[in-house]
Amino acid sequence: MTEVLDQTPQAQAAPPKTGWRRWLLGPGFVRAAWMAPLFFGIGFLIVIGLRSIAHYEPLLNWLIVVTVAGLVTAPLGFLAGIGAFDYWVYYALGYPTRPEDHSGHGARSWKDYFRVNTDHKVIGVQYVVTTIFFFLAGGLMAMIFRAELAKPGMQFLDNQEYNGLISVHASLMIFLFVIPAFAGLANFVIPLMIGAPDMAFPRLNALSFWLLPIAGIIMLSSLAVPGGAFGAGWTGYAPLSVVGTNGNVWFNMGVQWAGASSIMTALNFLVTIITMRAPGMTFWRMPLLVWANFTTSLLVVLATPFIAGSQFFVMFDRLIKTNFFNFHESGYVLGYQHIFWFYSHPAVYIMMLPGFGIASEVISVFSRKPIFGYRLMALSLCAILVLGFSVWAHHMFVSGMANWLRVPMMVTTLLIAVPTGIKVFSWLATTWEGRIHLATPMLFALGFVSMFVIGGLSGIMLGAVPIDIHVSDTYFVVAHIHYVLLGGSLFTIFAGIYYWFPKMTGRMYNERLGKLHFWLTFIGFNLTFFPMHIIGVQGMPRRVSDYDPQFGTWNMIISISSFFLGASFIVFLYNAITSWIRGPLAGANPWHAMTLEWQVSSPPPIFNFDEIPQIVGGPYEYGVPGARHAVFNGAREHELEEARSP
Amino acid sequence: MAAHAEAHHGPPIAHQSSRVDAPTLGMLLFIASEIMLFGSFFTIYFFARVVAGPDQWPPPPFHLPVFVAGINTAILLTSSFTMHWALQAIKRGNRAGMQAGLVLTLALGLTFLLTQIREYSRVGFSPQDGAFGSTFYGLTGLHGAHVFVGLTILTFATIRAFRGHFTAAEHRGVEISGIYWHFVDVMWIVVYTTVYIL
Repeated sequence: MTEVLDQTPQAQAAPPKTGWRRWLLGPGFVRAAWMAPLFFGIGFLIVIGLRSIAHYEPLLNWLIVVTVAGLVTAPLGFLAGIGAFDYWVYYALGYPTRPEDHSGHGARSWKDYFRVNTDHKVIGVQYVVTTIFFFLAGGLMAMIFRAELAKPGMQFLDNQEYNGLISVHASLMIFLFVIPAFAGLANFVIPLMIGAPDMAFPRLNALSFWLLPIAGIIMLSSLAVPGGAFGAGWTGYAPLSVVGTNGNVWFNMGVQWAGASSIMTALNFLVTIITMRAPGMTFWRMPLLVWANFTTSLLVVLATPFIAGSQFFVMFDRLIKTNFFNFHESGYVLGYQHIFWFYSHPAVYIMMLPGFGIASEVISVFSRKPIFGYRLMALSLCAILVLGFSVWAHHMFVSGMANWLRVPMMVTTLLIAVPTGIKVFSWLATTWEGRIHLATPMLFALGFVSMFVIGGLSGIMLGAVPIDIHVSDTYFVVAHIHYVLLGGSLFTIFAGIYYWFPKMTGRMYNERLGKLHFWLTFIGFNLTFFPMHIIGVQGMPRRVSDYDPQFGTWNMIISISSFFLGASFIVFLYNAITSWIRGPLAGANPWHAMTLEWQVSSPPPIFNFDEIPQIVGGPYEYGVPGARHAVFNGAREHELEEARSP
Repeated sequence: MAAHAEAHHGPPIAHQSSRVDAPTLGMLLFIASEIMLFGSFFTIYFFARVVAGPDQWPPPPFHLPVFVAGINTAILLTSSFTMHWALQAIKRGNRAGMQAGLVLTLALGLTFLLTQIREYSRVGFSPQDGAFGSTFYGLTGLHGAHVFVGLTILTFATIRAFRGHFTAAEHRGVEISGIYWHFVDVMWIVVYTTVYIL
């Protein structure tokens, strides 16, 4: 897992292979195309071998073979094939490695985005583009089941298809869009913001990106596997996920791959932020985006193993008939929910804190004012981090868990409103008497603040036991989660994409289309999800493909609005693609921002900085006369020399 | 700036802003994550044993080979000392000592793993035997998997040691695999105490 640069004398590396050998044996998709089947065979033999040693009957259980060989070893073979492990294999076996060879670094043509690339900027773009692909896939699924829900009665889906669509929609949006999209933006920006040439472990970074398409393809294919689509809902509660359709196994493994990816990325962020800050960049001078990802990464590293555990138990219960959640064999069914939510409640902060960071950047820059209460903004992130671990059972008020757990969980849940409220008021105070520029990133950031307040208020209602009992598993919960995850996370992701678009591509997006995108999304979003509060309180249950005719009118409105919302992303796609190809050149610092990523060219040079800058002040001193964040171009050496001379 | 960029071919050296070096910190964070993974397995173990559990644990007619596993624990603990010896040896520049320490650690770790597998075949119950069997195999199996990973890492360190890598000044490859190995050992003490003794 660690990547250790070898300091021992380097022998001359073997000359590169030529001709067809290079084509077949060099890292790339050709090698992946034969190594993935090879590793599938190895996995197959492992399963058969172990089963024959243990005298299990029947020897050939295809579900287990597919799980081990198809969902574990074959993806590993694919990763080995594209060259994600090459360096480590050379290192581990003591062969000469080439630490000075940067051939896998930076993008010279579009093809470099389809290779294992160790440049954090390339990886960041890879992340964002991949996650938008899965976002669109998940969004299309929502369109399909909204069409089904437009009228009462069954239209064109059966129950199992409907369950599959809502389950895969949610798992794609959560595990393949929101979490990795934030990781992608942070991947691009964090090393630049802290004045580092790259991440601490560039190869680990590349590997963690390449786990993501694997996770995504596994999750997508869980819709169409023999033995029934994954339809237990994204929470995958046992015992349904144990005894239900075989698609659950795909979900289990998809979560493992996505989880491994985010743990590795988070570990990388933490090490990068702790060990690679530029001189003078103390923790209290870090931009809030860095703070946000620091706390998020701590959450990921500490919480994600719990969902890994819960999915392992479910998978074992199904595949090798263990009894973790089998009531008849004295297993403990509720244990699943406890373990799952011990991850998944911190996970909602994993899905939100980086958005807080993006909002802080954008609001400060576009209000041309220092962020209000910088230290309290950072400390409230830490408070959310700690409190986030103490509230998981508020998802289980009606599950039949121990009654004494309810009130403590309610109190801690409501307590989280305090640090969150601090953040909301700080953003508002930042805009107070600022010179506000309503460019697209700012529109999305302000849209986020207002929508997140609505989501936060319904969150407080849901955190209170009596209301939660009433609206549990109704559309009120659906409305709440979409106000925080769509109005919250998605809006900040778009704020981030528009804000850093000029930095990532070197070109400016079309401002008019950006604003059009925002207003279409904002209106469509509210028309779609606000009525869900109403029908939720009236008792329309979620996750059911048919409903009482009294909700027909609202559902028709919701479905039509959701198509409107879905169509608004066409504007975004058109804007992003055309601007990337032939938008006007953006220049280094179109927003006149102070943070470090704007002090280098757009897109940034291959190693970010020709020399590491010296940090001399806070990152948000807009409008403060004479304030500087960083000093460049030899000024650091100059100052050091002055300090040295008597 | 552009002319400057032409002239230089590598990344600027990153400023080291912490006393801990990056690979060690990375390993420590990875171990924190691993501890939480064990935490989820302990959680389900105590749910099965305390919350949903039968009156007697282990539920009759099963019983656990506490003594054999105790010997095995001693073997694994010894391997931590040999690992420490290997690291101390290379810190003094004693290459042969490091090689001997690594090989001994590997041998002890392998003995532990094989004993564990032997115990599985003779213990008298399977993962399918109630939540007791599932959680027993879950915890010991998860630990066994970590021993396997630790042995793999140590094998790589050993290969490098015999190929002439590592010096008194640069031995992070041994040091960091050692940190992981110590973690595996300490974790076994917790697992052993919980599963066999408590």
